[in-house]
Amino acid sequence: MTQMNLPVAQETLSQMLDRMVPAGADDADLYLEQSTSESLALEEGRVKHVSASTHQGIGARVIKGEVSGHAYTDRLESPALMECARAARAIAEGENKNRSVSIHTGQPEHQLYQASNPALSATMPERKELLEKVDRLARSIDPRVKQVFANVSASFSTVHLLRMDGTLLSDNRPLVRLNISIVVEQNGKRETGSAGGGGRFDLNRLLEGSETERLTREAVRLALLNLDAIPAPAGPMPVVLGPGWPGILLHEAIGHGLEGDFNRKGSSAFSGKIGERVAAPGVTVVDDGSIAERRGSLNMDDEGTPTGCTTLIEDGILTAYMQDRQNARLMGVEPTGNGRRESYAHPVLPRMTNTFMLAGHDDPKEILASLKQGLYAVNFGGGQVDITSGKFVFSTSEAYLVENGEIKAPVKGATLIGNGPDVLTRVSMIGNDLQLDPGVGTCGKGGQAVPVGVGQPTLKIDEMVVGGTGA
Amino acid sequence: MSRKGMNSDMNEIASRLVDMAKSSGAVDADALAVNDIGESVCIRNGRIETVEREDSRAVGLRAFIETSEGLAFASASSSDLSDSGIRALAEQVITMAGISAADPDAMPPSGADHPSDRELAEWEAGHPLNEAWTLEAAREAALACEEAALGHSDQIRNSEGAEAGFSSSHVAYASADGFCGQYKKSSLALSVSVIAGTGDQMQRDYAYSRARQVEKLESPQLIGQEAAERAVRRVGAHSISTRQTTVVFEPRMATSILRHLIGAINGRSVLQKRSFLAESSGRIVFPEFIRIEDNPDHPDGLGNRLFDGEGTRCRQRTIIDSGKLTGFLTDRYAAARLKSEPTGHARRGLTGDISIGTSNLILQPGEMETDTILREIGSGILITEMMGSGVNGVTGDYSRGAAGFLIEDGEITQPVNEITIAGNLKEMFGNISHLGSDLTWFGSTAVPTIAISGMTVAGQA
Repeated sequence: MTQMNLPVAQETLSQMLDRMVPAGADDADLYLEQSTSESLALEEGRVKHVSASTHQGIGARVIKGEVSGHAYTDRLESPALMECARAARAIAEGENKNRSVSIHTGQPEHQLYQASNPALSATMPERKELLEKVDRLARSIDPRVKQVFANVSASFSTVHLLRMDGTLLSDNRPLVRLNISIVVEQNGKRETGSAGGGGRFDLNRLLEGSETERLTREAVRLALLNLDAIPAPAGPMPVVLGPGWPGILLHEAIGHGLEGDFNRKGSSAFSGKIGERVAAPGVTVVDDGSIAERRGSLNMDDEGTPTGCTTLIEDGILTAYMQDRQNARLMGVEPTGNGRRESYAHPVLPRMTNTFMLAGHDDPKEILASLKQGLYAVNFGGGQVDITSGKFVFSTSEAYLVENGEIKAPVKGATLIGNGPDVLTRVSMIGNDLQLDPGVGTCGKGGQAVPVGVGQPTLKIDEMVVGGTGA
Repeated sequence: MSRKGMNSDMNEIASRLVDMAKSSGAVDADALAVNDIGESVCIRNGRIETVEREDSRAVGLRAFIETSEGLAFASASSSDLSDSGIRALAEQVITMAGISAADPDAMPPSGADHPSDRELAEWEAGHPLNEAWTLEAAREAALACEEAALGHSDQIRNSEGAEAGFSSSHVAYASADGFCGQYKKSSLALSVSVIAGTGDQMQRDYAYSRARQVEKLESPQLIGQEAAERAVRRVGAHSISTRQTTVVFEPRMATSILRHLIGAINGRSVLQKRSFLAESSGRIVFPEFIRIEDNPDHPDGLGNRLFDGEGTRCRQRTIIDSGKLTGFLTDRYAAARLKSEPTGHARRGLTGDISIGTSNLILQPGEMETDTILREIGSGILITEMMGSGVNGVTGDYSRGAAGFLIEDGEITQPVNEITIAGNLKEMFGNISHLGSDLTWFGSTAVPTIAISGMTVAGQA
């Protein structure tokens, strides 16, 4: 057994657990987190801003049936810690469970990413140089580039989870990200384009090789493209979605609606639909938190459950929801490794990890060629869903009008809106070109942001409403 | 650490951090110390579902160092408030500032137009920290609120729960010129979300109230009823055909239009040419009957403040005067570069660069009842919910998902959803045709109903 270097003594943690677990509790845990992050930002050709944060704290949680208590503090000293334990158990009256836990160390099942701080892999001056290189390159590509914003961040969080039975699990979670945003100007008209990438790996992955150059060129290309964009059309039409990040369609249209909490409570448009057809034959969608080095991956979820690959839709039939421990227990199923929290200061919710559609058999070129009159959407900004009515939106950042299979003109950003439970029944072609996104996704739920991934092959959807201003 | 009052602790830590930065080599510095505590309870179907308690303290430091090319700076935050933690933070920031590029326009915090000691004392006396709810009182309010929502109509079939909570925040700010100020804030919130209808025709809606004092909080019964009514009236919604029409935003939705305006007149965005109003200072951007103010001391606002994130005194400001944009909102840096005076709109977190934010933003209401507005416009869409973020701040292009009600012959006829509304913010601002008399507060923003003509609504069919 390895001796871990905990910011709170094991005896203190054990005492907290003893105090907070009432008789009849279904679950309880302590989530001790230490995190650091560093960020460098460039604007006007200079890295003017370097910032960092160092935070630690503990979240205490008690669950009994449908009820949960959650308290946190960042004062890792005795009175505050015991008060935190007391507040978490406030949900239950009566005696404490008569117990004294002996702590034993467990191991998460996976080792999907490095256990070291990615900030150690590149010095700050090296990161500064990287951003300056982005700036120089962007401006050299086209004289219409007027502003370059670039940001590189690296964070590292160490999680120690002490479960009710005394099992102590730890996970070290690296995360890096590079964002580039460009403003171009032509005849007084300005436009913007952006690109980014990242994942759970070392910074030197961004420093070496061609990824940074590719992202810079992509951001400039998008900004220039938008200068010539015409208003997007308005109304229902067939839509072809490109591979990769457009998988945000799945995240919004079906992903949130398949989270266990909403379905246990019957508030999702997908409630009670297991076994029913919710997508066209050929459509298979999974949530997989166990892919090496992906932004949405975890060695274990925030309740210590190993992450894995959960098939949500198989050949068009709804097969499973995504579960944390509480909702799984209440619904009589196994947890799926989807219990996540933004930090020690937030409660656990069932959340997505990396959600994507498996590849089909169609040639992407043929899919586009089959589009008589419609929209070809290659890149998107964000999206949102109303899980109860099932209506969802996502907004294009690169899209084209297509006539008779040929790309005609780029169109301005427009929101696409659809109905989650039936949008995938309108999928008529599935490409053989599955791609995952470049590592930029952040999902919001209940005021908590967690890193996620999405992906899909090229897809044709026979009808969606496009929300432009054009004819 | 001794258990002194929360005040002296936070002030002292912020000041100590600034001193530490100076002794580590900073030529200028400012620091924040923040203490947040709060409790909340969520009720679902008449029973407690969750109880939460927060207790967090953290500090943030911004420090400037002198280089041969000018001043350079960095910032960092930490939750380690021990002596060694504070020293480590100061040293970390100084080291990081050595990596930052110098900015000839850098604007260190010293010398800002700070409030005087007397003003600080008067403010504290005039803005006492309100008594918080007890968790028990919050539980009772949430129970009553959910019960009112569930009992309002037999079409209400499910509850997403009612939540009641209270929080208080104590922020102390110190800068190297000796200024040290603090403010305390407390607020209460009560909300409920319920579902009407079943199966494929489920509709969810919510209602909430936030206030600084219990007396100002909407009654649990009224909040419950409002949520239930909102959910019930949405049942049976469907999409409509694509059209050009007038879009009426209820106050809750109209807040986002103001948010887009503030994003566009943010001095920092203007400097970066990331705003569709970058050339509009002093120009007419709204119809003449539009007046928008920022009021840092309003009895109904949750955004009251005496000084901003750089210690600059906040003052009441008319942002839009008879339709004219009076100027951009600035911190000290943006003001210097735009050759104007700082407007006291610096917003800062514990770490990261200064951004721009308003205090209490108020769009002055008109004189018309909503019914009259609907009659005047004849046909259009009343928007009660929006989704997505399809707004381009550089061009003003606007496209969002929406739900609401169809207006025909001056009356609401049916619920609609799965539609988008689109336009360009610059044109939308100019096309505001009506302002309601129903000024409504949402935290630190107050707006009436607004109607905007000439928008594109896209739907099925």
